[in-house]
Amino acid sequence: MKVTFPHMGNAWIVIQTLFESLNVEVVVPPLNSKRTLQLGTRLSPESACLPMKLNLGNYIEAVKEGADTIVITGGIGPCRFGYYGEVERQILRDAGYAYDMVTLEPPDGSLLGLAGRIRYLAGAKNSWGKILKTLRFAYLKSVALDRVEDLIHAARPRLPDPRETEKLYEDAKVRIAQTMTELGVKETVRWVQESIRERQPVLNTYERVSNPLRIGIIGEIYTILDPYTSVGIEEELGRLGAEVDRSIYLSGWIGNHVFQGLAPGYRSIRSYPDYAKPYLPHFVGGHGQETVGAAVKFAQEGFDGIIQIFPLSCMPEIVAASVLPRVQEAYKVPIMTLIVDEHTGHAGIQTRLEAFVDLLERKNIEPRSEQKRGEVLGFGGR
Amino acid sequence: MKIGFPRALFYYDYFPFWAGFFHELGIEVVTSPPTQRQIMEQGLKKASDETCLPLKLLAGHIQAFKDVDAIFLPRMVSVEADTYSCPKFLGIPESLLSAVPSGMRVLTVTLNWRKGTRQVLKDLQVFGLQLGKGKADIGKALTVGQEWQKRYQNSSGEGFDFEESLREIESTTQDLPYSPKGIVPNYDTDRLRIALVGHSYLTHDPYANLNILKRLRAKADVELVQHVKQEEIEVHLLGLRKKIFWKHAKQIYGAGNKFVTDPKIDGIIYLSCFGCGTDAVVQELLARFAREQHKPYMTITLDEHSGEAGLVTRLEAFLDMVERRKVHEGYISTHGERLDCDSNTL
Repeated sequence: MKVTFPHMGNAWIVIQTLFESLNVEVVVPPLNSKRTLQLGTRLSPESACLPMKLNLGNYIEAVKEGADTIVITGGIGPCRFGYYGEVERQILRDAGYAYDMVTLEPPDGSLLGLAGRIRYLAGAKNSWGKILKTLRFAYLKSVALDRVEDLIHAARPRLPDPRETEKLYEDAKVRIAQTMTELGVKETVRWVQESIRERQPVLNTYERVSNPLRIGIIGEIYTILDPYTSVGIEEELGRLGAEVDRSIYLSGWIGNHVFQGLAPGYRSIRSYPDYAKPYLPHFVGGHGQETVGAAVKFAQEGFDGIIQIFPLSCMPEIVAASVLPRVQEAYKVPIMTLIVDEHTGHAGIQTRLEAFVDLLERKNIEPRSEQKRGEVLGFGGR
Repeated sequence: MKIGFPRALFYYDYFPFWAGFFHELGIEVVTSPPTQRQIMEQGLKKASDETCLPLKLLAGHIQAFKDVDAIFLPRMVSVEADTYSCPKFLGIPESLLSAVPSGMRVLTVTLNWRKGTRQVLKDLQVFGLQLGKGKADIGKALTVGQEWQKRYQNSSGEGFDFEESLREIESTTQDLPYSPKGIVPNYDTDRLRIALVGHSYLTHDPYANLNILKRLRAKADVELVQHVKQEEIEVHLLGLRKKIFWKHAKQIYGAGNKFVTDPKIDGIIYLSCFGCGTDAVVQELLARFAREQHKPYMTITLDEHSGEAGLVTRLEAFLDMVERRKVHEGYISTHGERLDCDSNTL
């Protein structure tokens, strides 16, 4: 048995660790790329959302490396993702890929069924104690990854050389992926912190904004966690000199979705529904209510702008998007909505981001007295 | 008190329940006029761009009310254990507040059968306080509402005419006399029999679907999802590895599956709308099954730009194809069995 799984941002590091510690052979599909999306789009239903198209692409690319079993999480709705496991299984079967599909969820609410599925994946040799210990370690890794990511968010607008910052991020990811001890994970986080601090003095001599714009990213979880899907929006904003924060981090999702709220993660998503109450008092599936709540929270914390991203036809986010104008009105914070699909182009998004950042920066420039008609004609007020 | 009930979205499936509920409480319920151009245009102006046609229509219907004390927009979270409605139903009324005329009162209540009758009763009682009704009244109204809904659903099955049934209920709520038209559908064995599957708010709204039902009926006998009994739907859901968790989707998939296996049905038309999330999943499953069983199958996707001429051409082509297949028997060659295996356009 060779296990594979769909990509979602940095999640592969955590999942790879999980299976490797249990001595299960695992195939990490090639990172999301144009090719992945092309392969997936060919097989997916036209109006399915972008995550499904990328998922299918991941599976097809993993076949070449000998994967024969897919692990995916499930759900009981009302977001569509919960049913994708079954649809993807049928699509792959009809397309001639001999995949076995294991959905990690309690089938019809039976925890015993879930235990059976975990046992099937882990094999007979691993004790439950070991499985739990591995789960805990994988979870720690996800928290560390989120910490590193957040440090990079802060470093991007402040460090002079963007290429160096990206390199630091890549190196840190590799280090976390490779280490197999808790100490190693902690060391890596400290190493990233120190590397950023080392480069900080350069900042003072270098004339760069010391108080960058702050932009909150909210929206559908797959799109905001996966840099390929969001067309590298965080990196792009960082390069434009804005500090980015995000509503949902990987470990927050793992804590809530996989551990059923037993672990809070790096940033807990549990407080968001309360913030959303005045605007959207009921959950709408997916992370729709969290999106609205995060927008309110960012607005209250004084963020300069908020960007919502979601894949075309995402149901919960459409509900959130139609509520957000009222948040925008109440807090006077600009909110931009970006919808992505397989036709999204890099240049288009870049232009919109630049325009948005310009708009936010203009607010901070001191208001000049308005020029009068006579002054214009008199050239320079003479 | 006079309450406005928009003739859109949940109207086609759940109006009997709410009609019975309010009738028992002595509250008059007025429905908005059938969808027409002005309603659609108003809706397009006020609803968000990304949302689907039915919600845009609902936004239009909300603005069509005159002389009512309040507009009723229930949040139908779930109407059956272990299922949900579409997420867009869950976002009502918040996502539609921009369409409500200023100064108009909006009444809303959360209906969630996932948590059982007790929770529903509790939510309705809180709602009753807004209406000035006591707990006992609400309890009685709930029972009556359920009775009306049950009667409506039980009358489904072969030969069920939703238009007649809904008209009967509407007349009762406004204390108008009702005279049944009494058209008995006659099933002619020589005519084609086409199944039209899709959400009730698409198949039942003649303006939204460009009168597809009437057009089809002129040339063939038409079966709808509502013509299939609940028990039969349940049987046809058993083939799935994982239960579908949307109520509407379950009904559509179960009934669609039945139509695919039913030799009396000559062809299936799936009526969907652009941006429908649940249809993306169900349509795919159903198309696969129909292809496997060699059943003529076509998807029509509606949106606010749908043109009549395009629809008519497609319908005619489809019916011709089905007709020809019936006469000449349409197995082409065994070799071509999987010629369409790469196609996802079905």
